[in-house]
Amino acid sequence: MQVKVLSTRFDIPDAHKIEVAKEHGAYSTLEKVFSMQPEEVIELVKASGLRGRGGAGFPTGLKWSFLPKNIDKPVYLAVNSDESEPATFKDRYILVRDPHMLIEGIIICCYAIKSHAAYIYIRGEYTTQAKALQAAIDEAYAAGYLGDTIAGKDFQLDVTVHRGAGAYVCGEETALLESIEGRKGQPRSKPPFPAVEGLYGCPTIINNVQSIGSLPFILANGPEAYKAYGTEKSPGTHLFGISGLVKKPGMYELPLGLPILEVIEKVAGGVRDGRTLKGVIPGGSSTPVLTPEEAKTVTLDYESMAAHKTMFGSGGIVVLDDTVDMVKLVENLISFYHHESCGQCTPCREGLGWMLKIVKKIVRGEGSTTDIDLLVELCDNIEMKTVCVLSAACTMSTRSYLNKFRHEFEAYVKSNASTQTAM
Amino acid sequence: MSDRSQLIETGKPFTFDAQRDAEFERLVPRYPTRESLILPSLWLVQEQEGWISAEAMAYIADRIGTFASMVYEAATFYTMYNVHPTGKNHICVCRTLSCYLLGKQEIVDYLKHELGIKPGEISTDGQFSLEEVECLGHCGTAPVVQVNGEFYENMNVDKLKELLATLI
Amino acid sequence: MAEKVKLFVNGQEVEVESGKNLIDAIGAVGIEIPHLCYHPALGADGNCRMCLVGIEDGRPPLVPACKTKAVEGMKVQLDTDKIKKIQHDIMELELINHPIDCPICDQAGECKLQDYYMGYDGQKSRMTVPPVVKSKNMDFGCGVVHDQERCVLCARCVRFTRLITKTGELGIVNRTDDARVNIFPGRPLANRYALNVVDLCPVGAMTSQDFRFKQRAWFLTKSKSICHGCSKGCNIYVDHNREKYKDDIIYRFRPRLNQVVNGYFMCDQGRMTYKLENENRLQTAQLSGIDAGLNETIEATRRALSQSVKTVILISPNCSLEQMHTLQKFAASCNGCVSGYSDGYMKTGDGDDFLIQDDKSANRAAFALLGIDSSKSGFMDSVKGADLLVSFQNDLSRSLSAAEIEKLHGEMKFVAVGSYVDGFTEKASITLPVASYSEDTGTIINSDTILQRYEVAVIKNNPILDLIHVVNLLGGEIKDCKEAWADLAAHIVPLSNIDLEHIPSEGLALTDNEVSNVAA
Repeated sequence: MQVKVLSTRFDIPDAHKIEVAKEHGAYSTLEKVFSMQPEEVIELVKASGLRGRGGAGFPTGLKWSFLPKNIDKPVYLAVNSDESEPATFKDRYILVRDPHMLIEGIIICCYAIKSHAAYIYIRGEYTTQAKALQAAIDEAYAAGYLGDTIAGKDFQLDVTVHRGAGAYVCGEETALLESIEGRKGQPRSKPPFPAVEGLYGCPTIINNVQSIGSLPFILANGPEAYKAYGTEKSPGTHLFGISGLVKKPGMYELPLGLPILEVIEKVAGGVRDGRTLKGVIPGGSSTPVLTPEEAKTVTLDYESMAAHKTMFGSGGIVVLDDTVDMVKLVENLISFYHHESCGQCTPCREGLGWMLKIVKKIVRGEGSTTDIDLLVELCDNIEMKTVCVLSAACTMSTRSYLNKFRHEFEAYVKSNASTQTAM
Repeated sequence: MSDRSQLIETGKPFTFDAQRDAEFERLVPRYPTRESLILPSLWLVQEQEGWISAEAMAYIADRIGTFASMVYEAATFYTMYNVHPTGKNHICVCRTLSCYLLGKQEIVDYLKHELGIKPGEISTDGQFSLEEVECLGHCGTAPVVQVNGEFYENMNVDKLKELLATLI
Repeated sequence: MAEKVKLFVNGQEVEVESGKNLIDAIGAVGIEIPHLCYHPALGADGNCRMCLVGIEDGRPPLVPACKTKAVEGMKVQLDTDKIKKIQHDIMELELINHPIDCPICDQAGECKLQDYYMGYDGQKSRMTVPPVVKSKNMDFGCGVVHDQERCVLCARCVRFTRLITKTGELGIVNRTDDARVNIFPGRPLANRYALNVVDLCPVGAMTSQDFRFKQRAWFLTKSKSICHGCSKGCNIYVDHNREKYKDDIIYRFRPRLNQVVNGYFMCDQGRMTYKLENENRLQTAQLSGIDAGLNETIEATRRALSQSVKTVILISPNCSLEQMHTLQKFAASCNGCVSGYSDGYMKTGDGDDFLIQDDKSANRAAFALLGIDSSKSGFMDSVKGADLLVSFQNDLSRSLSAAEIEKLHGEMKFVAVGSYVDGFTEKASITLPVASYSEDTGTIINSDTILQRYEVAVIKNNPILDLIHVVNLLGGEIKDCKEAWADLAAHIVPLSNIDLEHIPSEGLALTDNEVSNVAA
């Protein structure tokens, strides 16, 4: 079931070194790219159907085409390597095992969008990965693939690695821009959209590492070769991360569209320790949880996920078995979102703190049915009233547990009730 | 989350050492605004001293030519910046989702017991401090611990014992 | 004339200015959209979420009004159940961690949370868990006291120090519900406009140390006036109250919006000049430093005037146009020399590029318009051979050294007609109290040649006579302010067409030409 599209060079020893990478095809698309018009490159990427791999799934070529024509300001590319969505652990493989694939993708993108400055925003925790990335960038400069003339062409491009310092919210594209500009990662209101007014007030494209990393394959082999994988509306491959209570957790490159339960069973070895499946988080902690019954008809693509009222997200699959206490899991998740809230807008800042205190109260055995109902209501009151979707990430996922595993919350409340009557 | 905004003043002025000074100057032309240097500068201070004092923040603000309040905001917003001194080995245990499901609590409890410290405290020999952090992006090899920038995967109490021994 | 567009609010068609944000556009036709973080002088921040409105057929259907421009045909929904619920829910979230400080909070009575709770919320608290606790009663410098728990993190104060004063003392540190406003250690508020954050703060998170606990907002009468601290003439509210058995005193000045003169703000020094209206006032007439009856003192002054060989009438640049004209006429009638000498009221280099002016008097521009000489040489000529110097509100000790004053005092009698105890009034052998500007009506011209009018704000229990009335008692022709203006208008061409009843609220701009006109 596994394929090698993005991960072609991952297992080749020293593929992070430029000589080895080049031996295996790195930078081989540049000749072709520079012979095309930038607009042609955009059309080609559109034709491939590549969708943003950070979690939103927005068509990449379409995003590039939102840039205004006749711009008199510089255009920037920001590569989103913040990778902080719990259950997600894919982009760092690219950074460590095949950084030149990313750099080549950056060159392709910058040529297409006429940008001469790219910033790679990498989460602060990725220390070894940042070093590896910088080493590759230094190699690229030395070999003439970055700097004043790319591969001898009259095109200048500078790439700068900008380290974050521990904020999940900086994975949000405008918070990422704020962070590069030296400020707190507090998302901006949209409109204006970054394609019009982004980094330093200039037109900016923000793409995920994996999205950019997919470009060399598409340019080398053509859009049809990319569409040969996946489904019609969700073409291509994805670096899925499977974790939780499975026998063989890990990162696996798969085409989109495979049945989720089959993947869990055949690729990741199935639920471990002889336990039973209780739930599946399909695409990162922010995606609504699936019951085993629901998961039977889910395939790993954007459309199937939407039809099941969840999301493809970042492709971080977490397997939950019958030992998992869903109430405490919700406490763990709400605690994450509350900790990561930027604090800018009222509903998220105050609301997530309140939700956390309520769920903790329930876990302590002091909760009531009113508290459970209040949690549900708060999900509705907070969602979509905020500047960004961090709050929705919390409320949508929390709501799914409250809906599908309500009996577990009620069990905590009943045990509270029984202690009370005992008194 | 405790109040990170209670800064510590060392009582001595701060300045970059030669290496950090050179790195700062190297970064200047890479950004169109000087404010962009705030996050990288905070990292430089932390590399040099292990943590960031009020004097260091004032130094950054004056060196960049921005308000001290801007540097103060960034230093307290981003939780990887140590606004208080830490132990020589600052142990970060991931607490989210997969690491939570696969036993982070056992690791935290062991460390608290073994080192005699709570998160935010430094062991009496100055060697260790402890912090629970959010998802470190190594879910496939949970539970995960990060110390001095290095990742230690598939951790359990036994491996932790070995790790502590190598760190001292 | 700004372009207008027609849009719909709650199904009703209204005409608003195009391009403005919905809060301002719809607010201008009398419909309020609640908001905390938006402020016209600071721009939109979009963090409070109180201004969320529905846009029918809109993409997206829910938008913050502060960030949405009025567009032709827009269908804005404000009173639907959905929007009302959102306003209700946002208010609930604002209040869950808000301390119930109302009984001890200065802001009560002028607090947005109170107003919006009554208007948009009204439900009982559902908090059964402990609230977030932060620091209270923090000294931020410049007399600003901060309470982190009351703060709604609208960031108005931060934006003020960054965008308006450009001094950046304030920031919002930490994240999530640990976020709080603070100053950097050792770098407190240190600008000359810091107290404006007290006005800007929609809640009681920013209070003035000077005003703290002194008076309840609902007892204050908010009268309009103009600050006399410098020649900018910032528009102000005089907030005053007469407590039982006490006199009507002023508790604070606040800036009043004037888009042309001072915008939304005023400087701290000007703000504090309210104290000059309360303290160290000339209350009673005095002869040789001893209280005397008014009639007796007036008589003594009339005698001094009629017996004098040469009288100097010293006019203050703080006098109103009406008062200056009255004094000119009076001087003519008693053969007095007029001087406006007041160099000591100029603090060269003190002004800035925002509101503060070098000239610490309110109406010096009128000297040029009325042809009143204020040069030192002119003054020295006037006092040569004079035996009587009558100053009207002009503290000569600010402009001359102690030795120079002594010399003059040796040569002539000093009479002081004024409102405040100062270096000159202490030397005068006759003092006559008059109403100050906060107790009087008048017209002044500021340093941008804008004509403004102020009216009586405070009425004391024992009202002091106004200056024109006192001059009339001394023998001047003009009886009152109205007559003074009529006479002015008749004699000064640039003022002849001005209808005092209909001066625009933002003042009337006179051209430079008009002001430098020397009176016929």
